[in-house]
Amino acid sequence: MSTLPNSPDLSTLFNRRAFLSTVGNSFGAVAANALIGSNTLSASNPTLSAPFHAPKAKRVIYLFQSGGPSHVDLFDGKPSLTKLQGKALPDEVRGGQRVTGMTANQKAFNVMQPLVGGKQVGDAGAWISDLLPYTQKVADKICLIRSMKTDAINHDPACTLINTGSMQLGNASLGSWLSYGLGSENENLPAYMVLLSQGTGKNPGQPIFSRLWGSGYLPSEHQGVLLRSGADPVLYLDNPPGIDPKQRRSQLDTLAAMNHSFQKQHIDPETLARIEAYEMAYKMQTSVPELTDLKDEPDSTYELYGEEARRPGSYAANCLLARRLVERGTRFVQLFHRGWDQHVGLGSQLRSQCLDTDQASAALITDLDRRGLLEDTLVIWGGEFGRTVYMQGSGTSAGRDHHGRAFSVWMAGGGIKPGVYGSTDDYCWSVENPAETVHIRDFNATILHLLGIDYKQFSFPYQGLDQRITGVKPARIIKEIIA
Amino acid sequence: MLMPEFPSLVFSSLLIASTTLASVAEDKIVFNRDIRPILSQHCFACHGPDAHERKGELRLDSLEGAMQGGESKKASIIPGKPEESELYKRLITDVADEIMPPKEFHKDLNEKQRKILHQWILEGAEYQDHWAYITPKKPALPSAGVKAYTNPIDQWIVARLEKDNLKLSKKAAPHVLLRRLSFDLVGLPPEITDPSRVSYNDLPAEIDRLLASAHFGERMALPWLDASRYADTNGYSIDGGRHMWLWRDWVIHAFNTNKPYDEFLREQLAGDLMPNATEAQLVATGFQRNNANTHEGGTIPKENLTNYVADRVKTVGESVLGMTTACSQCHDHKYDPLSQQEYYGLFAFFNAASDKSHDGNVGVNSRPSINALTSLSTPEEIAEVTSEIALAEKEFQNVDPSEVEEWQLSIKADEIQRGKEFKLIDLKHLTATMPNGSISDLQIDPKGEALTIKRGYTTGINVCCEIPKDTGAVTGMRVTFYPENKGKIGFGKDGSMVLNTISPCFSSLPSKNIDHNSLINSARLTSSSHRPGFETHYLTDTRVINGWSPADNTKEQHLTFTFPQAIDTSTLNHLTTELVFNDGRKQSASHFKIQLFSGNDPDSQHSAELLKIVKTPSSKRSPEQAQQLKELFKKHSPHKSRQRIRLANLNDRLGVLTKKHPTMIMDTAKKPRVTHFLERGDYAAPRHEVKPGTPAFLPPLKPAKELASRLDLARWLTRPDHPLTARVAVNNIWAIFFGQGLVSSRADFGSQGSYPTHPELLDWLAVHFQESGWDVKALVKLIVSSETYQQQSSPTVEQLLSDPQNKLLARGPRFRLSAEHIRDQALAHSGLLVPRIGGPSVKTYHPGDLWRQVSHYGSSRATAQSYHRDNGEKLYRRSMYTYWKRTLPPPDLAVFDAPNREVCLVGRGTTNTPLQAFILLNSPQYIEASRVLAAKILKADHATDLARIHAAFTQVTGRTALEHELDLLDEALQKELARYKDDTEAAEKLLLIGDSPSSGLPASRHAAWTNLCQLLFNLSETVTRY
Repeated sequence: MSTLPNSPDLSTLFNRRAFLSTVGNSFGAVAANALIGSNTLSASNPTLSAPFHAPKAKRVIYLFQSGGPSHVDLFDGKPSLTKLQGKALPDEVRGGQRVTGMTANQKAFNVMQPLVGGKQVGDAGAWISDLLPYTQKVADKICLIRSMKTDAINHDPACTLINTGSMQLGNASLGSWLSYGLGSENENLPAYMVLLSQGTGKNPGQPIFSRLWGSGYLPSEHQGVLLRSGADPVLYLDNPPGIDPKQRRSQLDTLAAMNHSFQKQHIDPETLARIEAYEMAYKMQTSVPELTDLKDEPDSTYELYGEEARRPGSYAANCLLARRLVERGTRFVQLFHRGWDQHVGLGSQLRSQCLDTDQASAALITDLDRRGLLEDTLVIWGGEFGRTVYMQGSGTSAGRDHHGRAFSVWMAGGGIKPGVYGSTDDYCWSVENPAETVHIRDFNATILHLLGIDYKQFSFPYQGLDQRITGVKPARIIKEIIA
Repeated sequence: MLMPEFPSLVFSSLLIASTTLASVAEDKIVFNRDIRPILSQHCFACHGPDAHERKGELRLDSLEGAMQGGESKKASIIPGKPEESELYKRLITDVADEIMPPKEFHKDLNEKQRKILHQWILEGAEYQDHWAYITPKKPALPSAGVKAYTNPIDQWIVARLEKDNLKLSKKAAPHVLLRRLSFDLVGLPPEITDPSRVSYNDLPAEIDRLLASAHFGERMALPWLDASRYADTNGYSIDGGRHMWLWRDWVIHAFNTNKPYDEFLREQLAGDLMPNATEAQLVATGFQRNNANTHEGGTIPKENLTNYVADRVKTVGESVLGMTTACSQCHDHKYDPLSQQEYYGLFAFFNAASDKSHDGNVGVNSRPSINALTSLSTPEEIAEVTSEIALAEKEFQNVDPSEVEEWQLSIKADEIQRGKEFKLIDLKHLTATMPNGSISDLQIDPKGEALTIKRGYTTGINVCCEIPKDTGAVTGMRVTFYPENKGKIGFGKDGSMVLNTISPCFSSLPSKNIDHNSLINSARLTSSSHRPGFETHYLTDTRVINGWSPADNTKEQHLTFTFPQAIDTSTLNHLTTELVFNDGRKQSASHFKIQLFSGNDPDSQHSAELLKIVKTPSSKRSPEQAQQLKELFKKHSPHKSRQRIRLANLNDRLGVLTKKHPTMIMDTAKKPRVTHFLERGDYAAPRHEVKPGTPAFLPPLKPAKELASRLDLARWLTRPDHPLTARVAVNNIWAIFFGQGLVSSRADFGSQGSYPTHPELLDWLAVHFQESGWDVKALVKLIVSSETYQQQSSPTVEQLLSDPQNKLLARGPRFRLSAEHIRDQALAHSGLLVPRIGGPSVKTYHPGDLWRQVSHYGSSRATAQSYHRDNGEKLYRRSMYTYWKRTLPPPDLAVFDAPNREVCLVGRGTTNTPLQAFILLNSPQYIEASRVLAAKILKADHATDLARIHAAFTQVTGRTALEHELDLLDEALQKELARYKDDTEAAEKLLLIGDSPSSGLPASRHAAWTNLCQLLFNLSETVTRY
């Protein structure tokens, strides 16, 4: 860079990609971005130009089950619970664990066995509820983690903790971290896409909030982009009535010519970036509808995902879209499915929630596998916490309260070794072997690790601290679940 | 601002040397500038202020500590002898377990950093106290070579430039400067019709005019709203509505009246404790009530309260002190000398209020809250609005007989069509759900014809129905309610029911839930009867406050909902409907059935009273009837709709100016909470009691009484020898005008923060600011009058490469406009802007209902769970008044980097993304602004289209278009004209966007010009302040 061309024509000098390619190391890439002024989509200029180690996963689909799915009923059933049915949770098991304000004044904490039976499935013999027959069938593809632990016991802090690494407000979400670090493999789609759905068990479920896919202190371009069902999947993607695509193209050509004119007069790399952003917007007007138009999906797709996948906005349809997104190179796809907060009516609500999600979640695994995408796509299924073994309320309307001390999630693909990791005590209350505890920071560090990122070195300086998704404490990479 | 601060040394090795803050000429190492950043980043975590985490008993944050060494007793630093200094030896050793920092920390020093440390030790290893904690003294102005400059800012900037043999760039053109000044001082574009007639001589007067403008306060308030995390909702998960706009009004007023900045802070921190506190001083204390608060059931009171207070400490730390505090909530700060004990001393100041752990539900402010008057009310505006109301009222009362005739005709026509070919279609009710309560209380009868609700609920109910095959097209739906609760229709008092909203949608598969993205609006809503004040139109208002309720609780009643277009049910053969019974008194219905229909709704949209008059020939009407018809026309006719909205908005405004409104304030509880040292920051691990106090490394607190109060804290912050407050303040004000601070880490003046680019200037400004009586307007005037500020912003390629971030200011500042100012600009140029100052937040155009998709609507009675758009002038207020929902901030602003206001934010980023293009190209706000600007241009007196292009371009950009630019625009216009020439239908569609009235211009031409104007709003230069 020491010999400067005399020409003030920045378009050649600052051609983003050409420029970036001259700057080899990742640090240089950051500096170069700053020099150019700003980013367009994170697609073309990830912060990390190379992974820290060979990644096992290139992309992630995170099926976030908001509300706190019951590990007791779904993944952690055991004979002891039948024996303990109706008996009080002993104080020594409870171990002084705080409970939420909803059951703090309850007189008794009596064990309620799982709603229905389950089976030991797959080579590892993982117990999975009969409420999840499709998940049972893909048991050999997933790794069930039964020793998850979170510090929070209520929705807002727990969702915020698992998605942003801290219970406090203002931090960056996991997806935004990956957008920031890795960018997108597709220049015409954002790196981080978010899809929302509402379960039928409890409608509406607990609220969700844009903080969960927000960028916190990271540049705002890394926040998750909502992909909505219906006509305008990305906010204001479509040309307004009365403007056709040909006309829009012509308008954008004039705009680019005018912007180039300004740029030449004022030497403004920011304007060059803006020209590129408008081009990308134009391309998204094609790439997004092409993505969401399911006409080319054969009937076999719906046999796999279920007919529900034909209904826009459903969880199943979002699972199918997730597959289409990762096919196109989206780095991080996150579904937020609401309705898992079964304080009451566990019997009816949990069944409905499972019906909404079981087939499509399993189908996604099978589908990705058939397409050869599972090996480098990490799929995660889980919520912000689990639920208490004891019943909240009584009788047929009984439910379960929040429980963060031990709960279950599963992961598949992307370098995950199928099987079971961790276990809980007879009451599904605490992690049986404390050394196997998977704290939220361990969980997120492991996800980063699978993507080739060393969590310790992946930080962003803000307010005097090297901010990390794992927080300030050291995390443990759960090597045991990695293939 | 956006990108992390990278050490300038590394950066310079990538580029060329003059980017570094150390100039070429000045090669002696300066500890605070060159050494502290390295030690802080690489060493202090283990060898810094945090005693608990200190390794090997070694501390490197003082020379004493470093010379003493750690456990090994080897001196880490021997001044003048780097090779013998353990610190340096450990940097260059090859022995793996001796190397520092240890490999596993990934904090390796690079070659350059090692060299700098070497040189520093060689030069004597002089330590300095951290610059930001030393009370600033006014330095003597630089002397050499800067005599040509009278403004001290220029003297400092030029003196620094001269060290690198650099100069200021030439002055920007006068019209460019006027635009820059206008955006910077009031956040709005100037009105420039002829750029060539703007002269430098005009600028001083323009500066004074802008400083005196009422919009000055709005502009200055904006960054303070970010820092103060101002929002209209409570945050956390349910995120119900709150009322804090009176505090925002107070801030605007404070800037407009040039309240001294120290007073500005003192009143916000402790207005309630001032002797004879005024109502305005109480309102000011809302600053520390802007924190998010929750009413989520089940959350733990102590945990919530701890979070609220921690947020207050964080906010005052970052926005006033330039100090990050969060670390010290759990342990001693690793980089700055703030101990955990001292953290809880600060915490204690804000922990004594009577605020509650769970509060603020259903739109009622979290306590303490008072009702107060806005600070912005002026007799002038009250008089003005009053006379506007009188005028509007007059206009409203003025009934045009031809319009009444037209209305009657439309009613008659509607009446003739009513009930035509009406045919009800029975549906099979498949499922019904509700979020809470016992699901067995919802029962579909065995034949699937209807639904029974066994008990009264406040809830949303989703009902899915199957549509029989061969139903074909349907035009609407009907819900019939039956008196099945012991002969009563609902479960309210006297057996009443209130339905708040009804939302149908169709799908090809059974769906237990409605899909928020395919909800169908009603084209017509009628009912068999209604109680007064509970008319069917309230069903379209999704807020909790109102709904439809039938008049007679003992009889069958029905509601008829007509769709905007007929819907073909051959593939969309399922109907899911959400009925929300939300009024809080469990006034749900007891038994109802949902049907579809074809043909026309048989019920009338009009009252029996109106129909009777309309059916009576006008010659036979009594005078009372004639008068009654007029009244009904005013109340109900679409002709009067705009006038009704206008009057309602004006009356609202008068209420804003003249009535008291709720706002949250700070107070001291009768029995204040006791503050404890919290082990690891854990609310559940309280240790010893901590009294209010300030950190020892800052000047001592002198409380008036034994127990220090917030007022003592406020006075302490603004005492003349406080090293941080004034520096932080001038730095933040500076950043408004230069896009970045002299200290670029504006919220962190600590060890990890950046060293000032111009330390003497920062100190000079800080002291000068205090000496001026903390006079904000004077400081702003000093800044914008400087040559430094007034330079042209276009860099040379050399400048761009040597100083990409423009740290040395050899050129003028250039940055993208903020989210709010981009939208305000479009409103201003089009003439749509309603420039009223202050008042409650407004809900502008919004895509569908994004809130409802994520909220607790139908389960919680919190407000702000569903989006209900405003009308009329409220659509065109300045963007800073946009309703700010924390969990889903205004999407069109968020895309342009507006924060969610959950926590304090000092300085926004500026990104550049395709999503921004979608907003400017496709959102109704910008299309409407383009349409209205186009009409303005077309209606003005211009001879030719070229002249019009000229005028439009100048209006939007503030400059004259170049020849080739005119050609480009003209060519674009010709294409647009050709596009719509034979497609007026397309033109008309485009022109329907936005609520403002049609221009009456020929559609094709107007549409073509709309697109030209929109192109101008999308220009990079339009969104750039340069």
